[in-house]
Amino acid sequence: MIKRLLISLLVATVLYGIVHFYPAPSMQPTPHARYTKIAANGVPLTPWQGPWACVLDRKLNVLWEVKTDNESIHDGYWTYSWFLHEKGQENFGDCYFESQRCDTQDLIERTNIQTLCGQNNWRLPTEQELASLIQSPSRPGRAHIADDYFSYINQGDYWTSQSDSRLSRQFKHLKLGAKAINFHSGTVNALPYRNAAFVILVSSLTKTHPLSQFSSRDNSIKQK
Amino acid sequence: MRRSIFAVLHTLSIVAISFSLLSGLRIASLDKSYLLSITTLLPEGQVHSLHLISGISLLVLSCYYGYFKLSHRTVTTQTRYHKLVTWFGYVIILTSLLSGVLLRLDWLPQPLLPLHYFSALALLLYLLLHSWVYALQLGRNAFKKILFIPLKRFPLRLTGVLILCICVLYYYVQSSTHTLSVSAISADVLMEIDGYDDEPQWQDATLFFVDTNHGANFVDGYAQVAIKALSNGQETFFLFRWADPTQSLNHLPLVKTESGWKVQENGFYHFDEQSYYEDKFAVMLSNSCSFGADGTSYLGKQPFNSSPANWHSKGYHASLDGKIRDLWHWKAVRTNDMVLADDNFIGPLVKPLNAERRYKAGYQTDGKESGSYVMNWQWYSKNQITPKRLPNQNIDISHPVLPWFGSHPYQKAHDTYPIGTQLSSVLYRSNRFEGDRADVRAKGRWHDGYWTLELVRKNKTDSAHDIALSNHTCMWVSAFDRSQIAHTRHQRAIKLRYAL
Repeated sequence: MIKRLLISLLVATVLYGIVHFYPAPSMQPTPHARYTKIAANGVPLTPWQGPWACVLDRKLNVLWEVKTDNESIHDGYWTYSWFLHEKGQENFGDCYFESQRCDTQDLIERTNIQTLCGQNNWRLPTEQELASLIQSPSRPGRAHIADDYFSYINQGDYWTSQSDSRLSRQFKHLKLGAKAINFHSGTVNALPYRNAAFVILVSSLTKTHPLSQFSSRDNSIKQK
Repeated sequence: MRRSIFAVLHTLSIVAISFSLLSGLRIASLDKSYLLSITTLLPEGQVHSLHLISGISLLVLSCYYGYFKLSHRTVTTQTRYHKLVTWFGYVIILTSLLSGVLLRLDWLPQPLLPLHYFSALALLLYLLLHSWVYALQLGRNAFKKILFIPLKRFPLRLTGVLILCICVLYYYVQSSTHTLSVSAISADVLMEIDGYDDEPQWQDATLFFVDTNHGANFVDGYAQVAIKALSNGQETFFLFRWADPTQSLNHLPLVKTESGWKVQENGFYHFDEQSYYEDKFAVMLSNSCSFGADGTSYLGKQPFNSSPANWHSKGYHASLDGKIRDLWHWKAVRTNDMVLADDNFIGPLVKPLNAERRYKAGYQTDGKESGSYVMNWQWYSKNQITPKRLPNQNIDISHPVLPWFGSHPYQKAHDTYPIGTQLSSVLYRSNRFEGDRADVRAKGRWHDGYWTLELVRKNKTDSAHDIALSNHTCMWVSAFDRSQIAHTRHQRAIKLRYAL
């Protein structure tokens, strides 16, 4: 009888052990292979931390501006006509932060003055740079981009720096425009400079910049 | 042969009771969170099916055992103690089976609802008094006695017949449904979606009741839902009415503390808020009518090995059979002023995203072209948040939705609200969704302890994420009382039957 009681006790202990010491599934984020969130002051964040103002793109060694819905100059709803270095169409987009209407140069100047994420070399991305962000939508009806990192991206056109592109079809009479990436369809289109389109700015990192050496698996940043 | 039959029945009963108890406790953990402390012992995944098939097995085995016992009065000899315990077992198993059958048919009267759970706990006690005491008394011989059956004497034909009975009964029970008659109305009749049932057509419509249970905050977790349905051939109108003594419009309110603004919550961090949340109502539609919300419920902390675990340990909804289930989600604050229900669906598992803390498995929203409600914080943190907007000075801040044009972007310098100020966390950035997500118009009104929800959708939409409304479409309903996920539920699907 004592032996049977001891076996019962052993079974109960094993069950207790399973209940209390069996490891629970991990509730930790997995770093993205290409992107890292960067706070407005330039500090890297883990995937579940926020708010973040930029995305470090380790593939291109650049920082991307992150759009918001806080009505700041980075709000994702603002649109801009294409205008750079006296070329294009001034002030044909819509935003709240300019006394007149908005163009791409306005956003670039304001963002550089702000030194977003510690950078003052913000610019329009090239076609190749911006097109490299295109990927299949993560969920039905969402944009063709990693929208867990690039928030508030609209299903519309985003300007690139490529100007002097020949226009076709209904815009043919306007002759030249700039290239834009459409994150609704994931395609590249040439649009008239006067069109109101969205913008994501980009900033190149020098090879000596601390973020250039940053690895997503850097364990110096911790999830709070 | 008698001994062999008894041994087979006994062994099969052990298996059926074990699976039934474990799966039942997992289902009970949805509203009895203390059971989550033994979560590692409980099965995960589609446990509703496991519970049903083990319950039906026990029912068939018990019925045959009753017949067997009557035919062969004495099968085993027992001491007085074991005779008493065995009779205790009979009572418990009978109670468990009866309450289970009535529960499955949605016929168990509300006051008797706890009987099924408590009979399961009593069954655990019975196992201790019966099995454990036999094991102590007889040791290894107890197992030999009940498990050893000489192959020559194995009742193969009987076992086959019992398994066939279990399969037939399972097929019948898992697909049995309620029926909701959809009354016909003329296409000329104007039905205003305003949450009032004052159109004469509603008075003439057939009234159907379904008892839903196990919801957080409802009295005893219970909400009886009264349903009426009308169709003009192009659209189907639904009227839902359920008792909810409290109108909950306080949706994750912001409160100003000495250290700044904070979200008032009690579980939101784990995506299972049960105190500071709006009332809601959900309708699921499917072309099939199976048990366990048509096989879309997967319970447990991590029911899919290849997908992330959930924060609340309760489970996920997903549709792994390649079919879509439509889900309309009316929200008393976030969608009611839009006169919409959020048009969602349950589909296949989506790919987890690295920066998304809450994985939702197969539960997703339909796509939208524009429009949304947004939460009034720049970034959610358990400890402190910064609001996106603050109300203008002359605005009534007690309204559940903060008006966009009655508020201004947050600036610390303008944040002069006194400590203790409470503020809505919901902002409408436009007056409604546009696109696929806006297919379901809905308006709810709360009056005298009842919500009345009027809802309409086209019978056929062009969306790949919607289910067409037609004869034999099956429906499930759930009410939420200031809870994020802890909704009421019923067992049998409600099959729509359209008048010719």
